[in-house]
Amino acid sequence: MKYLPFRLLLALSLAFAALAPAVHAADQKLVVAMLPKAKGNAYFISCKAGAEKAAKELGVTLLFDGPTDSNAAKQNEIIENWITLGVDVIVAACENKEGISTALRKAQKQGIKVVTYDADALPDSRTFFVNQATPEGIGYSLMDEAARLTNSEGEFAIITASLTASNQREWMKYIQARLTEKYPKMKLVLTRPCDDLKDKAQSEATAMMSANPNLKLIMAICSPGVPGAAEAVKQAGKTGKVKVIGLGLPNENKRYVHEGVTDSVILWNTMDLGYLSTYAGVAVAKNELKPGAKSFKAGTLGTFEIQGDNILLGKPFIFNQGNIDQFDF
Amino acid sequence: MRTASTNSAWKSAVFSHEGILFLVLVAEWVFFYHFGTTVNRHDVVVGFGTIDRQFDILRHSCEIGLLALALTPIILTAGIDLSVGSLLGLCAILFGMLWHDAGLSIPVAAAGALVVGALGGGLNALLITWLRLPPLIVTLGTYSLFRGLAEAITRGAVTYTDFPASFLFLGQERWYGLPTQAWIFLAVAALVGLLVHRTTYGRSFRAIGFSPEGARYAGLPVGRRLALVYLIAGVVSALAALIYTSRLGQAKADAGTGYELFAITAVVLGGTSIFGGVGSVTGTLLGVAAIAVLKNGLACLPVVMRMNGAEELSGMLTGALLLLALTGSVLPKYLSNWRASHHSARPQTPT
Repeated sequence: MKYLPFRLLLALSLAFAALAPAVHAADQKLVVAMLPKAKGNAYFISCKAGAEKAAKELGVTLLFDGPTDSNAAKQNEIIENWITLGVDVIVAACENKEGISTALRKAQKQGIKVVTYDADALPDSRTFFVNQATPEGIGYSLMDEAARLTNSEGEFAIITASLTASNQREWMKYIQARLTEKYPKMKLVLTRPCDDLKDKAQSEATAMMSANPNLKLIMAICSPGVPGAAEAVKQAGKTGKVKVIGLGLPNENKRYVHEGVTDSVILWNTMDLGYLSTYAGVAVAKNELKPGAKSFKAGTLGTFEIQGDNILLGKPFIFNQGNIDQFDF
Repeated sequence: MRTASTNSAWKSAVFSHEGILFLVLVAEWVFFYHFGTTVNRHDVVVGFGTIDRQFDILRHSCEIGLLALALTPIILTAGIDLSVGSLLGLCAILFGMLWHDAGLSIPVAAAGALVVGALGGGLNALLITWLRLPPLIVTLGTYSLFRGLAEAITRGAVTYTDFPASFLFLGQERWYGLPTQAWIFLAVAALVGLLVHRTTYGRSFRAIGFSPEGARYAGLPVGRRLALVYLIAGVVSALAALIYTSRLGQAKADAGTGYELFAITAVVLGGTSIFGGVGSVTGTLLGVAAIAVLKNGLACLPVVMRMNGAEELSGMLTGALLLLALTGSVLPKYLSNWRASHHSARPQTPT
């Protein structure tokens, strides 16, 4: 009785040792390993849905693994694991640009191709970056959508996260450019920061409406700003009179979109992002897509423009009453 | 009834906690070697059964291994240090700052990080020995304090990178065949092993673990001995911070989050009693290896890869392994108690 555990272990070890080093022939399919920033994040889960669709169409094996929380160290460990597993291509959304680049360079040294998406690594550690949105695309789409909703005339105001944040300023630049270029009858009366806080956005929006009775639209270009502005409009009883649009996530705006307070939420289509990234990764692994290419055709989504080493997902996606329920992030 | 006899010196070695853990480790290794090694499309052998993978396991074990080594003497004294992971983060950040912002050379910045580690460990030691506060509470406090400091200094946003290749050599390259940091790990293991098993210090740690009052009455400088183990833990945490920073090529405030729990798990799995007094450095090393092989091996199994759940599964199995080891270590006692009562119920018949 006493010796049973020992004997069992010995027998087990011997059994395996006798079989080893038996080596199983693995998948003969090309293996794409996709790394999200956090695998439980709904944003990346919808990227995965697109990636799975692409993998099925292309007949490749898709691995999708990442940290449970956004953790740069774990991202590196997962990549190192993929290196020893000898995957064909790594498609990565990077939590930390510099930190992950070391691991990605190591992968490249072993002949594994690397494509990044959503958040880029250092340029020398990947072949292409699938860029989900350019500042120009975001700025123009916001302005065009505002014009469409107001018949291109009247006063509107903007809520930003802060007046100094570089991405916000970049977007503002293109909104202004589009405004002066195409919509002379529209007037930007006020731009206020909300410090990325929903409450502050709400009070700013309330103040905007009382100071500008002719205000026709509020545009929030930070994600807490959109529901914040919508709540203000709703409470002021101006639903439909003052329109709300902005840059944000579908889930936090669904309620207001269905109530008719918020007309459109602008972001990119995350499923398309996963789909395009997978197609690009496979094409790079097969040497069909090389640096210097000017365009790239990705399955049923059509052809995408390449600027330098950035594959552009293209125009942002507009979530509205008709489609917002198809997205869960 | 069979009694312990001359033919079983090696059997008692096998049946020691370390012996069983070693067998578990071998079984794990053989299992993953067999099921986790595959050939890819280009007819290249990949997975667990490659030298690269084995070195990766060693590489990934070094930081948690160092923390586990630092925790072994502490747990032997019936203490605990929950702050080692946070101190690792703080030292990593300060190392990055000293090098990048203060413009110091790498060796000077590294020395600075070690000093910070010593100060952090010293703070624990001071509170535990001077004020006689319980180690659990003290280090729970410094656990938050050190991490909070690291986050405050960097506002959670600054990441130090672009370290020179000479520094990255420590964490990413090999030196005389092994990953560079493995040499440091082995050296620290040898030093801690000597301290715990070959000096009177080690005996005093155990004595304190069994009974601090008894040790005090026996004339042992309990305060100074305790201060020493927490101080060592601080310095070793700083060492782990340098290795971590070099391996990832970055220093960020979240460095080493949760490492203290992995390290404690390894120590306890290695047979060191959480109540103090009993334990060995060999056990800790085996505990570290058993967890590392399990974690890395799982990630190589094709079925786990397809599920994309290596991290969760390794968490579950590590927990199960720990509980099994704890149950296994008390089972013989219960069994012999049961047998004793079972036998005494019947009249003893001479044979």
